[in-house]
Amino acid sequence: MSDAPRTDELPDVETVPDRAPRRGPRLGQQADVAIQGVFLSAFLVAIIVYFANRADNFLTADNGITILATAAVIGIVSIGQVTTIISGGFDLSVSGVVPIGSVLYALLLNDGVSIPAALGLVLLTGCAVGLVNGFVITVMGVNPLIATLGTMSIAGGVALTLAKGVSIPFDDVDADALTRESLWGVPNHVWILLGLGVLVFGLLRFTVYGRQLYAVGGSPEASRLAGMRTRVVTSGAYVLSGTLAALAGAIISSQLLTGVAGAGSDSALQSIAAVVLGGAALTGGVGGITGTFVGVIILATLSNGMAILQVPSFYQQIATGAVLLVAVALSRLTQTLRNR
Amino acid sequence: MTQEHPVGDPPALRVEAVRKSYGPNAVLKGIDFELRSGEIAAVLGENGAGKSTLARVLAGSIQPDSGSLSLGGRPVQFASPRDALRAGVAFIPQELIYIPDLSVAENICLGNLRGSRYFSTPGRILRQAAETARRFDIELPLRMPIARAPLAVRQKVEILKALGRDSRVLILDEPTAALTNDESDALLELTASLARRGLAVLYISHRLDEVKKLCRTAHVLRDGLLVATHAVADTPVRTLVAEMLGREPTPPDRSTAAPADDGAPGLALRGVSCPSTVDSVEAVALTVGPHEVVTVYGRRGSGADTLAECLGGLHREATGTFELFGRRHRIFRTPRAARVARVAYVPAERKTQGLLLKTDIATNLTQFIWTKLGVLGVLTGRAERRRSRALIQRFGVRCRAPGQAVGDLSGGNQQKVMIASRLAGDPVAAVLHEPTRGVDIGARGEIHGLLHRVAERGVPILIVTSDIEEATTIGDRLLIMRGGRIVDRIDRPSLADQAYALQTAGGDSE
Repeated sequence: MSDAPRTDELPDVETVPDRAPRRGPRLGQQADVAIQGVFLSAFLVAIIVYFANRADNFLTADNGITILATAAVIGIVSIGQVTTIISGGFDLSVSGVVPIGSVLYALLLNDGVSIPAALGLVLLTGCAVGLVNGFVITVMGVNPLIATLGTMSIAGGVALTLAKGVSIPFDDVDADALTRESLWGVPNHVWILLGLGVLVFGLLRFTVYGRQLYAVGGSPEASRLAGMRTRVVTSGAYVLSGTLAALAGAIISSQLLTGVAGAGSDSALQSIAAVVLGGAALTGGVGGITGTFVGVIILATLSNGMAILQVPSFYQQIATGAVLLVAVALSRLTQTLRNR
Repeated sequence: MTQEHPVGDPPALRVEAVRKSYGPNAVLKGIDFELRSGEIAAVLGENGAGKSTLARVLAGSIQPDSGSLSLGGRPVQFASPRDALRAGVAFIPQELIYIPDLSVAENICLGNLRGSRYFSTPGRILRQAAETARRFDIELPLRMPIARAPLAVRQKVEILKALGRDSRVLILDEPTAALTNDESDALLELTASLARRGLAVLYISHRLDEVKKLCRTAHVLRDGLLVATHAVADTPVRTLVAEMLGREPTPPDRSTAAPADDGAPGLALRGVSCPSTVDSVEAVALTVGPHEVVTVYGRRGSGADTLAECLGGLHREATGTFELFGRRHRIFRTPRAARVARVAYVPAERKTQGLLLKTDIATNLTQFIWTKLGVLGVLTGRAERRRSRALIQRFGVRCRAPGQAVGDLSGGNQQKVMIASRLAGDPVAAVLHEPTRGVDIGARGEIHGLLHRVAERGVPILIVTSDIEEATTIGDRLLIMRGGRIVDRIDRPSLADQAYALQTAGGDSE
């Protein structure tokens, strides 16, 4: 190549045509994710077909909306969760932030605060917990498991304290704006879920921040040496996760017209399960919104279908765990086979 | 190519018509050769010639599509590395595998403990390891946790681990790529002594001086074919290089005209110091002209490594200042400061420090220019891929597509990607730390040529290396470090200065 023309003088890259096939072969880790995506989608189709055969009222538009509506809370939490998992950690504190969101939203509304203002304060609270997580993890260097376990416990305790141990029914039973049905009979919180999904998809795929998040999660040392603001990038994921968890709490309250300190206390495990099911790796740097969505829908469809078939709820829990294990084991297997 | 041998004397290893393809890519296109016990044979070839694939076939970690292997005349088939080890083939990969928390002794005995199947005691392990080490005249700090031991020790551990299982064939994959000169010499000596005991050794390398010193025969691979087998003693190095490349080697492209060094230097360090227990830097001053390539050579412990790291912002405790085209800066204390000042730093360890290994080539190439490529922080994969293609062309990265995983590339191409990513942002100056470590001759020449072309455009380039050949061949000026200071300089160095430079750098590298 030393006798090649002075190709180094190409500061103007526009001269290089976009000639290679745009949909080139997808390779490497991306291919693993793609393979897992195919598996997962096939699995989703399979359970839909199964339930549709067993119950007439499963495959209906109404039930579809029901599934989305029940999935919305975990879905919103999972959208935040996937960013922390891409960053190489995870966020257990959502199990404490969802209850805070729920209780605080109810208290604020009952104090006469308007819905937008109440929502704003709830989101700020979630954001604050996220900032604390980010600080403890990136500046103090505490392992994400320990850090968010701590904040989960604290946040959960704060929620119980605020609620004084009891449920807080809304004074105004019409304050369900967040979850009211709107366009095409689809409730608002489903629109919120879809909107957030698109937004964060764009954030991860089409922004500098998104690139940096994958970089920092996959190769923290190399990213730091490359001069990226790794602490800011990582903390950003926890802030997003905290904020979305608080929003999920407000949505639960709005659904129940009651603030509940026990609401969504299983959301950490549920959201991590959905994200991992969707192909993210707990080692960081891998994962995405599309997979997470499929993961969330699978879990929601399973529990909805089993509910329709009147399977007792404790079996549902077992099924959820089994699906998670089988799916992840299968994806490991395909990777091993591919790498032979 | 293979010669007839008396029937009673089967070769230690015979490879016949071995082929391996990945999809449409044929990597090995029918390889035949023999290796006799006591023989050290080199496998030479450029990146992508099939060396590593061949080694992995022999080590059982991949299975050939066709062809056969035999050991001592007995046909064998390896379904796994474990099979190969049992049959007596030991493979020492470039990237060593060990359990960091265990001691040296425990790692040596790993998976091969004598006595009871389930129980062992620390004392017994220590005795067994000591015995193995003594049998092969290797001295090792047996109680040291292996994670703290230097690379050379870890490599010996790996070799002992293999020998402890009575291997008959030893395959070394570029074992000296990351070693210092003394360590390399020790390893070559060890290898030679093992061969004298009857071990058959396959030595994969691109360091021709080592091959010359160590090997009896050399097999040259090119594009998956064994193009030649030579008796090393009768073959000039130039012939070997020509066969590897498939053409006559050309000297690195470099302007011989003296750089116009009028006025302010591009990069000028003043009194840069950094305390360190093993490798401190004491008041180093140096200048690099705007069109110059300056190399800093030093053995381990000379401070050269720390000096490079200081310029990358890896040492918070570093002190001193430097001037960049007349502007005064404090020495970087964070990598971000280096980035903001637009000084490109190419770190020594591409896998852990340089590349985003989990992502694709495009992501790696553009990581320093994301902000520039995007509009208000929003950028598309398309812009990224387009810029990547330009960089791939400019830096001669051999790959299938910008979307290919960077981990799939050969070492030389990974190195090019790392260097390209740092130079993509039009830096004001560039500091490269061991820019061709673990890179074969072809890619090495290309990288050197590239750096010269970047320097010609007015970017001062500082290369810190522990490779004496690199230090004496590519720079306009060579600075030699010892004991944390610059002790000598050679203008327009050449290979003939090697001996002097080595001597000046001193033998105080522990």
